[in-house]
Order: sequence, then structure tokens, then C-alpha cells
Amino acid sequence: MKIIKNITIGLSLLMSTQLVFSAQPGTTLASVNPEADRMALQQFFKKRFPDAELADYVNGIYAVDADSRTQWEDLESFPPYEFDVEEGERLFKTAFANGKGYADCFEKGGIGIRQNFPYWDKKAGTVKTLEQEINECRESNGEKPLKWGKGPIAQISAYMAWTSRDNVFDIKIPEGDEGALAAYLDGKKFFYTKRGQLNLSCANCHVQGSNVRIRADLASPSLGHTSHFPVFRSKWGELGTLHRRYKGCHKDSRSQPLGMQHETFRNLEYFQTYMSNGLVVNGPGSRK
Amino acid sequence: MRKLTTSMCAAGLLALIVTTPATAMTTQEAVAEGKAVYMGKSRGNCISCHQINDPDANLAGNQGPPMVAMAQRFPDKRMLRAQVWDASKNNPITIMPPLGKHWILSEEEIDAVVEYIYQF
Amino acid sequence: MKKLIAIVATVVFLPAAAMAETFDDAFDMNRAMHGKGYTFTWSGKQYSTDHLEEVEARVAATKENAEDLIAKAKAKNAEVANVGFEWKLTKGILKDAEAAMVSGDYRKALDLAAQAKYHARIGLEQHAYAENNWHLSVPQ
Repeated sequence: MKIIKNITIGLSLLMSTQLVFSAQPGTTLASVNPEADRMALQQFFKKRFPDAELADYVNGIYAVDADSRTQWEDLESFPPYEFDVEEGERLFKTAFANGKGYADCFEKGGIGIRQNFPYWDKKAGTVKTLEQEINECRESNGEKPLKWGKGPIAQISAYMAWTSRDNVFDIKIPEGDEGALAAYLDGKKFFYTKRGQLNLSCANCHVQGSNVRIRADLASPSLGHTSHFPVFRSKWGELGTLHRRYKGCHKDSRSQPLGMQHETFRNLEYFQTYMSNGLVVNGPGSRK
Repeated sequence: MRKLTTSMCAAGLLALIVTTPATAMTTQEAVAEGKAVYMGKSRGNCISCHQINDPDANLAGNQGPPMVAMAQRFPDKRMLRAQVWDASKNNPITIMPPLGKHWILSEEEIDAVVEYIYQF
Repeated sequence: MKKLIAIVATVVFLPAAAMAETFDDAFDMNRAMHGKGYTFTWSGKQYSTDHLEEVEARVAATKENAEDLIAKAKAKNAEVANVGFEWKLTKGILKDAEAAMVSGDYRKALDLAAQAKYHARIGLEQHAYAENNWHLSVPQ
């Protein structure tokens, strides 16, 4: 009898520890807590890189690796994206065939608004990204949409980011809006899920593996990841959008990648940008 | 006649030498194949995360532990093989891909790479 | 004190008892240690470490058999794509399998189809595992 009682106590102890364990990481709509997630991620990096300033995470790997920072600062003294910003401005200010322009589609004429993207569009029931709204603007004015990864869309996005530099990211998950919270949770789940033949999650490299060498490359910390996009990447030799990078990363896990602006990628951007709330817009950026 | 015998012997010897590798890889050959797997980007690409004291290993990464004291760390070579086959068994969030379980390498390639790293 | 020890003992030993080695664990461990073509004992019976797909490919190298296994592999890959876990190389392996079949190399076609089907099946397992364990690397 005593043994049975002990087993019962043991079992309940076991079960309760499991309950506590599964409740913490916020894996369900009922338990997920974006603000707690944001603080936990900041704490993680604070512990991992005690010398790095929180505000500096917008500079990616250069916030935590002094050697590559020097090279990068040299690069930034003649920014490789300068031409793209100028071209983006020209495209932004060129009127459509119907006489209207991008400025007519966005708040404040599209200037200094990058920090509000992506956002939860309650009416549409989906996360909206800046690039998506650039194309929607075109289509509603009778123009053909642009391709998602590079070229004009990246240049226009770069110009809009440029006009928003130093504005603080303020991504909102409207209180009591279950759809918004579900989108955030979906993005979070995608980030931490191991996938593909190589069985890799985003977190494998950009949380646990951040600032550790994969061959000669250093994986960047995930905090501040979205702040500096679009990015002029030396490896590409040109400017590209965040979703181009997402697709490349997804493929690197040896998965059949999702298309750019797929709902899950937009949810991932929503999650990642929420994690960067409080940091500033510093796009476009340059990276190795 | 003696000449014929000698040449027959030589032919027999030659046949023996030629057929031996077809039946089983020698340890030396396995090590060479294992090294190719270790360094090959589209094969094991082990070098991207594990340092190894081989003069041909340039710019090895350090996501994983260095390949040192393998025989001491894995007295049973089969346990090392199991670790290469699926490292997530011991650590579910490891960055190391399950090279055998996900059929990234063939079983023969895994045998070879184990032979190669077991020397270090 | 005695009671405390008993409780501690129950807590420590319960998980071990609950985690008696499943067939899948035993299979994986033996395959991991010995590769394919090895015989192991589980629950008093003998089993081979060959994958289901390797056994499926071990049929007569005919056009019909190759077609059959390629079709099965395609169906499995469609299943894994449906849950968003399709692997990058699988479609290419299936293409190679079809090319081998067209050129009459049915053995090669069978082996490639087996690999593609295995990839798709393990992708499904990966998805099922992730559903319950994706949170493991979330910083607390």
C-alpha cells in the first residue's frame, strides 16, 4: 500500500514537472507570451555575449565579432547599397501610368514608416509585409507586380528603409486578437523547428550556434535580424530582400523551400521583427 | 619450362593483387575514402564544424568538438559510428545532421569516415 | 527518511521503466552501430537492420517493379510535401530513378526509388517529432 502511495506521489511529481516544463516555452495559443519571449531572447544573448550592447544587435554578427567588424566598417564607409537607395528613390517618385504613385498608397507618403512593418491586417486576416504592400500598390494602380527577391522591389524597399533609419521598431500583436497571436506563434514555431535532410532549425545556427564558425563563416545572432534588410550581400553581389534570404536559408537545411512572401515566411518575419522591438531600423545594410 | 612456370606464378600473383581490393576495402583505402568524405562539401562536409589535425584541413569550423583522442572518447568504435549516424539521439537539439539516419551519407561512407577520424 | 528515499527512488526509476526500448529505438541503434545487413534480437525475435525500402527494392529488376516502387515513392513524397517537410533532393532522386527506368537500368531505378521513399518517410517522422518537440531550443 505504501509502495502504491509512493508511486502515486512519484508519478504526480513526474507529471507536474512535465506540466511546468511544457507550459514555459509557450507552444500553444493559450500559453504563448510574445513579450516574455522577447525578454527571454534578449536575456539569452546578454548572457552569451556579455560585452555586446543591446542596441548594437542591429549590426548582426558585427555586434559580437570584433575582427569582422573592422572589415565591415571599411565596407560601410563606401556603402555598396548607395546606388540602390538612389535608384529606389527614383522608382519611388516615378508616377504610374495613371498619374498616381507609391506615396499615395502609404501613410505619411511612405516616408519614415519602415518600423511599422510587418503588421497584422485584421481585415485581411494575415500578416502584411512592406514588399507585399509595394506590389499591392502597383496592382491597384494597374501596374504589374515586381518580382520578390531582388531588383526594383528591393531598391524601393531600401529607399523606404533609408527614410526610416533610427526609427524604433514597434510591431504590435493586438490584444485579444487570436489571429494575430496565431500568426506570431506560427512564425515562432517555424524558427525553432528542425527541418530538411540536414535537420536544421533557424535557431540551430542563429541562437545556439551564433558567433561560432561554420567553416570560415560566423552565424549571426537572431536578435536584430530583420532590422537591416534589404541587404547588399557580398555573396550575392547585389541587393536582395529578407524573403530571398529566408528562401536561401530554408534551402540550406536541404528542404524544398517555401516561396517568397508565403504566409509562413510572413509569419516568420512577424515573429522575428517583434523580437527586435525596441531596436532601430538601419536598413539597407551590407553583409558578407 | 621454368620460364613458363615463373610467368604463370607472376600472373597468379598479379591476379591476386588485382582481385583483393574488389572483395574488401583495406584500412588504408577506407581512411583515404573517409578523408574525402570528411572534406567534401557535397559529401560529409565534417570540416565545416570539426577541427582535425590533418595538414589538408583548411579553415575548419568549430560548431562541434575537435576530432581529438577519438579512441579514448569512444573505446567502442561502434559507438562513434552511432554518433555519426544520428547525433540527435543523444542531443535532440544538436546542430549536427543525422548523416546515417537521413541517408545523407551511405553506410559505406560512414564506415570510411569513422576509420578516418578514429586515427586522431 | 525511508519514505523520502522511496519517493526519490520511484521518481528516479519510473522514467527508466517507462522508457523500455521500443522496436524503433532498437532498430535505429543497431543500424547506427552496425550498418545494413546486420541481424539483431528484440523481444526474443530476430530482425534485420535493413530499411523497409531496401527490402522493397530487393525484387526482380523489371520495368513493372521499378514503376511500382517509383509510384510509391512519389506518393510518399506528396504526403510529406503536404505537411511542409519535403526534402530538397528527393524530387531529383525521383527524376534520376525515372531516367534509369527509361534507359532500362531497372536495378538502379529500384535503388533510387527506395532512397527517395525512405527520405519521404523519414521526413514525415521528422514532422511528427517536431510537432511535439520544436520548443526544446526556445530560450527560457
